[in-house]
Amino acid sequence: MAYLKLINVSKHFGRLAALDDINLQVEKGEVIGVVGPNGSGKTTLINVISGYHHPTGGMVFFDDRKTSGKRPDQIAKRGIVRTFQSNVLYPGLTVMESMMMSSYLQYHSNNWQSFFRTNAWKSNEEQVVGWVIELMTMLDLIDDMDSPAEGLSHGRQRMLGIAMAMVANPRILLLDEPTTGMNHTEAMFVVDKINKINAQGITVVLIEHNMKVLMGLASRVVCLSFGNKIADGLPEDVMNQQEVVEAYLGTEVI
Amino acid sequence: MRNIFNRFVRSYHRSAMPGYVAGVLIIIVFFVPLFTNSVVLLSSLILTGIWAIAAMGFTLVLRTGQFSLGQSAFMALGGYASAIFTAQLDLPFWPSFFLSGLVAGTIAFLIGLVVLRVGGIYFSIITLSIGEIVRILALQWEPVTRGSRGIITSAPPPITLYGHQLVNFDAGPVPYFYFMLCLVAVTGLVFRGIGGSRLGRTFAAIALNPVLAEHQGMHLMKYRVIAFTVAGIFTGYAGALYAHFLSVMTPLVFGLWQSILILITSIVGGIGALVAGPILGSILIHNLGEYLSRLNTPGLQSFLFGSVMVVMILALPQGAGLIDVWKIFWRWVWREKKSELDTVSGEAEY
Amino acid sequence: MPPVEIWVDGLTQSCIFMTMAFGMVLVFSILGILNWAHGQLFMLGAFVAFYAITAAAIPFPVGILLGGLLVAALGIVIKKFVIDRIGNELYIGVATLALIFTLEGAATMIFGSDDRGLAAVLPGVYTMAGSTISYQKLAVIAFTLVVMAAMYFVLNRTKVGLAIRAVAQEPEAASLSGISTQRLSLIVMGIGCALAGMAGAIMSPIYPINPFIGRAPMIMALLAIVIGGLGSLRGAIAGGLILGFLHSVIAYYISYLSEVVLFILVILILLVKPQGLFGESAK
Repeated sequence: MAYLKLINVSKHFGRLAALDDINLQVEKGEVIGVVGPNGSGKTTLINVISGYHHPTGGMVFFDDRKTSGKRPDQIAKRGIVRTFQSNVLYPGLTVMESMMMSSYLQYHSNNWQSFFRTNAWKSNEEQVVGWVIELMTMLDLIDDMDSPAEGLSHGRQRMLGIAMAMVANPRILLLDEPTTGMNHTEAMFVVDKINKINAQGITVVLIEHNMKVLMGLASRVVCLSFGNKIADGLPEDVMNQQEVVEAYLGTEVI
Repeated sequence: MRNIFNRFVRSYHRSAMPGYVAGVLIIIVFFVPLFTNSVVLLSSLILTGIWAIAAMGFTLVLRTGQFSLGQSAFMALGGYASAIFTAQLDLPFWPSFFLSGLVAGTIAFLIGLVVLRVGGIYFSIITLSIGEIVRILALQWEPVTRGSRGIITSAPPPITLYGHQLVNFDAGPVPYFYFMLCLVAVTGLVFRGIGGSRLGRTFAAIALNPVLAEHQGMHLMKYRVIAFTVAGIFTGYAGALYAHFLSVMTPLVFGLWQSILILITSIVGGIGALVAGPILGSILIHNLGEYLSRLNTPGLQSFLFGSVMVVMILALPQGAGLIDVWKIFWRWVWREKKSELDTVSGEAEY
Repeated sequence: MPPVEIWVDGLTQSCIFMTMAFGMVLVFSILGILNWAHGQLFMLGAFVAFYAITAAAIPFPVGILLGGLLVAALGIVIKKFVIDRIGNELYIGVATLALIFTLEGAATMIFGSDDRGLAAVLPGVYTMAGSTISYQKLAVIAFTLVVMAAMYFVLNRTKVGLAIRAVAQEPEAASLSGISTQRLSLIVMGIGCALAGMAGAIMSPIYPINPFIGRAPMIMALLAIVIGGLGSLRGAIAGGLILGFLHSVIAYYISYLSEVVLFILVILILLVKPQGLFGESAK
């Protein structure tokens, strides 16, 4: 049984089919790249898996349990956490504060313990801070920890987005175009970090336009076009398929 | 590691003044009845405390990003619950008082469950409607609320210890003053605890970016309902104290205009501090209001309230209020160079 | 079946709610904010008409126009000096809530808080099939029709009106139509406030005038907007009509609880069908 499984998933907005009868299986520990021209339903796919949209047809299973129809917070609790296409942050906070804000799923003491500041809360809070620091060190954000998150450069903000998702220690990380608007060096830096994340045993599903990034990361690539899955296989094979090249024609061939 | 932890924890407990100054102020307030027995002054302080509690409730709901325009309804609910229990059902005072907040809280919980599904402007309109429904029912449901004549409430029974009468609520406003202080203290401690705990952090996350917070595992409804319910409970207690202090509970003192006054109190005080802000706002609005209403110029009071509020919003960064002006003053007194006003919008969320 | 008088009452109330709700929605759909002080502009319009007619002996229709113009000017001042200087929508809402107190306080200081009346503007009644309708109520209905017809003309036949409608439907369209958003929103604020002022002036002969008369129409207009769908111009008219009739007809049957019924209805609509009864589904 696959780790994450989409069975005949469709998502219609009125008459427009953003996703049409998608079947997809993701194995544990994989890095799956999702490609496709703009408007092909890539982000909708992540929205459906993370619970932001409910599918109009079909079902999503994660670890043998149905997740379609659940709320985003319930799905996040099961271990599927995502990033967003644009830089979605908590306005007005520093990097450290944003990371602490995102640590909700690391709270192992309840609200009462926190209210009365019991020892259980204190040790949990120290644990959380330790984990946040460890993450920031790993993702190279530690030097910026006290600067306002909105003041960071675009690339660092995208990194912070990944870091904020990682605080939850997810089992599956959904990344929506982690390298948009980055130059080659920055993108390769992100590739390196995502590989590190994957090495910790975290399954990654990422939407990506940059082929160099995909080649360096993905063990499998899925191509969407007009809500249909038109290819699924090894990165080199998918990229050379006739349909994939056609789907990209007129858009951005890289 | 330890160091970083402490630094972070401290950064989100930034308080308006050092603990010892707050302690001295509290002690001074505690002994106010020794210096004066002016009924006017004490009454106005008691009302200040009551409205401060209501404003704290509003601020707590605002912390989750929701704008309630019906907070005075929960004061009315608490007040009527206590008045009906004691005057119509002849229950003893203390159990009735205890129940009154729970009644308001339960109703807030039920309303919250249904209403908090829709957010933003819809929530404001619905809470406004609920406030008006409560007011109209209080006015028209004669058999229970006695309509506009109101319910005459009795004072709390004297507290006796070994046969000595310690506190007699019929004697004057002083016992009510201490009653108010206790209520403000309890509310303040609870709200301060919430603001500094993970609950407060979760509230802030939900207010700052609901979509992101939901994807990080926070159940929006749950936390919005918690805030609304806690606010309802304490606002209810404030209403009950109000009813017994005024010795009559009429529907005329609650409605949309009181809800807006609560809102103004909260925002003028500054939503950056969950407890000190509303208290400061209430001291200004209600004592100033008391003074202005004695000037015999009808309209001046509401004109100044509105204008002060507008000027404040225009002049200070959003989310800043008197409390932030106070912080700057405090730093200036101690010659600390750092200006807080620039970072206020972020800090205000704690 | 309630008597004719009740229906006429309902229609006069509908006229006020409709005009108010239309102005509020117009501002909401372009500026994205609810002007909570809309009712106080209504009150000021009534005062302008009152003084125009009693002190300056200006004819009633001119008084209505004057009320609309002066209140529109005030609205533009508010837009320029308050709303434009606040970035956050939440705080714009708070500021307009505070303006309620400012305007009411100012009106109380200037005009005093006593009731005034304009009963002598159009005396006489019209008798039809045993029921009597005062000319003043007929005048309210007639003038509202004139104002709404003028609004229809402005929105459908003028360049500004077309731009307003385009922006209301598609905020990005402003740049396409070649009209600056800044100017357009000023014009819209002026028109919206003028509608409130004219509503106040139109109803000045049939209700007593004091600084607090703006409160109830504002709440009712808000409810009308919700019934019709937040942001829908046509919905505001339909919502106002429905609300006016419901208000007087329900009141005929169950007297005092009629407002409770209205509020509960509105809450239900918001929970079940937040886009309103006539709102376009999902923008």
